[in-house]
Amino acid sequence: MAKIIIDGQEVECRDNIPVLQAAVDAGWDVPHYCYHPGLSIAASCRLCLMEMKMPHPQTKEMGWAPKLMPSCQTPAREGMEVRFATEKVQQNQKNCMEFFLLNHPLDCPVCDQAGECHLQDYSYKFGDPESRMVDQKLKNPKKDIGPNTLLYSDRCVMCTRCVRFTDEVSGTHELGLVNRGSRLEIDVFPGLPLDNPMQGNVVDICPVGCLLDKDFLFQRRVWELSTASSICPGCATGCAIRVDHADDKVYRLKPRYNPGINDWWMCDEGRYGFKYIEDSKRVTSPIVRRGLDATSPEWADIPEIVQFRFEQHVRENGGEKLAAVLSPFMSCEEGWLLIEFMRETAPECTLVMGPVPMEGDDQSFPVGATGDKVKFTILNEKCPNRRGVEMLLEAAGGNQCSFDEFVEKAGGGSFTAAWIVGGYPKEWVSKELNKATGKIDLLVVQDLLQNSLMTSAAFVFPACSWAEREGSFVNAGGQIQPFDWATNPPEGGRRDGQYLYEIAGYAGLYNGERVRKLMAAKIPAFKEIHEPPVRPVHAH
Amino acid sequence: MAAFEPVLLRNRGVEQSTTLKVYESRGGYQGVRKALKQTPDEVVEEVKNANLRGRGGAGFPAGVKWSFLPKDRTRTLLCVNADESEPPTFCNRILMETDPHQLIEGTIIAGFATQSQTAYIYLRVEFHEQFHIVQKAVEEAYAAGYLGKKIFGSEYSLDIYVHRGAGAYVCGEETGLIESLEGKRGWPRIKPPFPAVEGLFGQPTVVNNVETLSCLPHILERGAEWFTSIGPDHSAGPKLFCVSGPVKNPGCYEGPMTISVRDLIERNDLGGGMRDGKKVKCVLPGGVSMGALSVDELDMKLDFADPRNYGLLGLGTAAAVVIDESVDMRMVLQNLARFYGTESCGQCTQCREGTSWMYKIATRIASGAGRISDLDLLLETARNMGMMPGYSICGLPDGATYPIETIIKKFRPELEASINAQAPGKAEALFTVLN
Ligand SMILES: Cc1cc2nc3c(=O)[nH]c(=O)nc-3n(C[C@H](O)[C@H](O)[C@H](O)COP(=O)(O)O)c2cc1C
Ligand code: SF4
Ligand code: SF4
Ligand code: SF4
Ligand code: FES
Repeated sequence: MAKIIIDGQEVECRDNIPVLQAAVDAGWDVPHYCYHPGLSIAASCRLCLMEMKMPHPQTKEMGWAPKLMPSCQTPAREGMEVRFATEKVQQNQKNCMEFFLLNHPLDCPVCDQAGECHLQDYSYKFGDPESRMVDQKLKNPKKDIGPNTLLYSDRCVMCTRCVRFTDEVSGTHELGLVNRGSRLEIDVFPGLPLDNPMQGNVVDICPVGCLLDKDFLFQRRVWELSTASSICPGCATGCAIRVDHADDKVYRLKPRYNPGINDWWMCDEGRYGFKYIEDSKRVTSPIVRRGLDATSPEWADIPEIVQFRFEQHVRENGGEKLAAVLSPFMSCEEGWLLIEFMRETAPECTLVMGPVPMEGDDQSFPVGATGDKVKFTILNEKCPNRRGVEMLLEAAGGNQCSFDEFVEKAGGGSFTAAWIVGGYPKEWVSKELNKATGKIDLLVVQDLLQNSLMTSAAFVFPACSWAEREGSFVNAGGQIQPFDWATNPPEGGRRDGQYLYEIAGYAGLYNGERVRKLMAAKIPAFKEIHEPPVRPVHAH
Repeated sequence: MAAFEPVLLRNRGVEQSTTLKVYESRGGYQGVRKALKQTPDEVVEEVKNANLRGRGGAGFPAGVKWSFLPKDRTRTLLCVNADESEPPTFCNRILMETDPHQLIEGTIIAGFATQSQTAYIYLRVEFHEQFHIVQKAVEEAYAAGYLGKKIFGSEYSLDIYVHRGAGAYVCGEETGLIESLEGKRGWPRIKPPFPAVEGLFGQPTVVNNVETLSCLPHILERGAEWFTSIGPDHSAGPKLFCVSGPVKNPGCYEGPMTISVRDLIERNDLGGGMRDGKKVKCVLPGGVSMGALSVDELDMKLDFADPRNYGLLGLGTAAAVVIDESVDMRMVLQNLARFYGTESCGQCTQCREGTSWMYKIATRIASGAGRISDLDLLLETARNMGMMPGYSICGLPDGATYPIETIIKKFRPELEASINAQAPGKAEALFTVLN
């Protein structure tokens, strides 16, 4: 740790981190474009300049250097002294803001970035409201640079973050620069579009509305969006994300800073992987069947009906005829509640880990990197909580079998009652499973999308997408990460946690944290959850 | 004043001066032989004693620069800056055209002093002919065993590569040059690390100008004392001067750094006076980047110290452009602003936007739509750019602003008169497009 002095105030920070970072962490709003903690230092936007005390080149005496210095490029060292709140520094910020706007179109009314634009914010805070430019603006072109991304060159502030991202993080090098001076533009080579599994991050790190996501283009003004802290369900990496939503619709996902797990990034598969939320095949209301008679009762009546039917079944057939298939898409809390219910009803029931979807190989970035050079990995395990469900199963003990064994045993008639949880974003029910469940009298299917099991199920419960749920996932690294709900379940639906909570015999509102406390009393691992640090608003 | 005995240009006009045979027959490759018998540190010391200041523009003492190399380095690279992109400057060009072996000899000496294994001569792409001349001389030197392994029977080996740029002013800036040599975009680097510690390909690197290196054979041969006996203490040794514009004898001349701008224009052995009865109005004496002199300031000495007294940035390349009374200073402003507007590499905000804004304003003024306030706007824009206040990575914007600032300050009455004489209303009506 080092102590440095900013504007006369002592600030403690890690040794050698950029002075800019130390200042931002300590609450100073230092304007910056080219600096990004996840990228190399460019020190080219010249917005973050500060006054610094330095030894005189000849006399070695400490004094304020006549030049301003880039605080992003200067490492914090014990005892150093810098000034931010000075006229000289502010004059430079004002100059910069004037320069940035010279050729800027200021088409904020039609720009997706408006509302979260660092050019707007900095102009407001550091700039001058009036422009002295009377000449015609240069208009660099708008370009389609890849399947997901548009580049409005005229809005670029030339921070080169995007270029450095493709060089240093994705390692795919699609972006480069053409021309010189104010005609400088970001571009791709002809025939080589920006197309890599992490490209969406360039839109996030672009401080202005130059790089825009086609998926979100003109969809919504950002100030109308609410946001929820979440965890990406796309793979077992467990990237911390934000779910931006409005009117119960998810508009976009953005990564949240989560050191050591996803740092500042997320992959495109996760980023655009939320579309199934609005799938027309979503199950939205519960169905209860008795013989050929199907009803859709009130949610309030369901716990009692379920409890009654299961207790009756155990009385008539014995507890060992009961099984529950848990899904790696369930949250830990939901899994725990279901296990509670099943084991309360029949301690000898069998618990099963549902299928864990695997696709291809892990993908590491920068492309070709190995060992500690790896900055980001997309795992081939395409579900968020295999580890979490396994932890629950380990703690639960008792009768358990693999999914394949379950299918085989069920087909042989070993189980007469089963609760099967899906929640997979894709079709997952195999022919074998479908056939095997034919032998099950009391079948509960809790799933997101309609599937063939549902036609014979005694109970069909709509599962919610992760964006509508709340709880925690345990990623491949074993970190237990909580996530919040963003949107409400579709009309007629209910959060899985809520109905499982009630079915397991609890009254009131489901709340992930409360359930985690109950769990922690029995599974100590759940005492320690991993939450990414909260960042100052102006840090990005 | 006794006629100056040319040193760097002593082979100019000699038949086949670019060949090794002629160069050697006229005393060439003696300095390097002497150097290789000494230790590298002794050579560095000699060059320090000669107070050889860099001829590339900044005037930094070469020997001192070399001593910044880390003592424990295992590799060192030498870059010869032959980018010479500063307008009206052709000192390096003449040196390469007339005496490429002098440059090669100087390069070997600098290479030995810095213990470099490899040297790269970086030429601007427009130097077609010069490239072939230098390349041929390098080949000749290899064939004679003067380059390659164990030069002149010493333990020292050096390889030289001649590399051509792709046409950018900023690639003359030493770290822009290094990036370009690495095959990247010519974007000057942020410092630290300085090239002496981490330069070309991450190795300790020295960058020196062609003329700086061309002085070395003579320093080694004749000694530091001889070198410092030429010119004032702070500006030792022979220097090339260029003069262009409406003078009788535009060209490149050699002399001590005691001559004034007036000498350069008027002396019969130099510029020879103005052509066709024209009168001097303005001189940009150090290449264009150092700023402008008015006709009352022609006594400025072309040395490393005096230009500061006239509000100029420095000696620069000591290449003077003379502007006569028939030229409209608005056009001069526009022409200068255009150069920097197109040559800014674009990475630093102030330089990228400032240079092109200055060009737009200057263009508007030149097309008769200026406002008096534009002159102040130009001055203020100029003040808001530059490496010296810390606003930018390299010195290009300092060079961009000095000529604009000095011209506005020194020629304000003329500029204001032109603006006041414009057709009324035009300023409001005419906005320009940058092309
Ligand atoms: C924009 C810019 C352009 C430059 N162009 C040249 C050039 O063309 N040739 C040159 O020798 N030095 C040029 N320089 C200076 C070099 O950065 C460097 O100081 C010089 O090559 C060092 O050599 P010297 O010490 O032998 O003078 C330029 C500097 C700047 C800022
Ligand atoms: S980038 Fe920012 S300032 Fe520019 S148009 Fe978009 S919102 Fe406005
Ligand atoms: S496109 Fe965005 S991220 Fe890339 S250089 Fe321009 S402003 Fe920066
Ligand atoms: S000062 Fe200008 S030329 Fe130099 S690095 Fe910055 S933008 Fe490029
Ligand atoms: S953030 Fe420091 S120069 Fe850009």
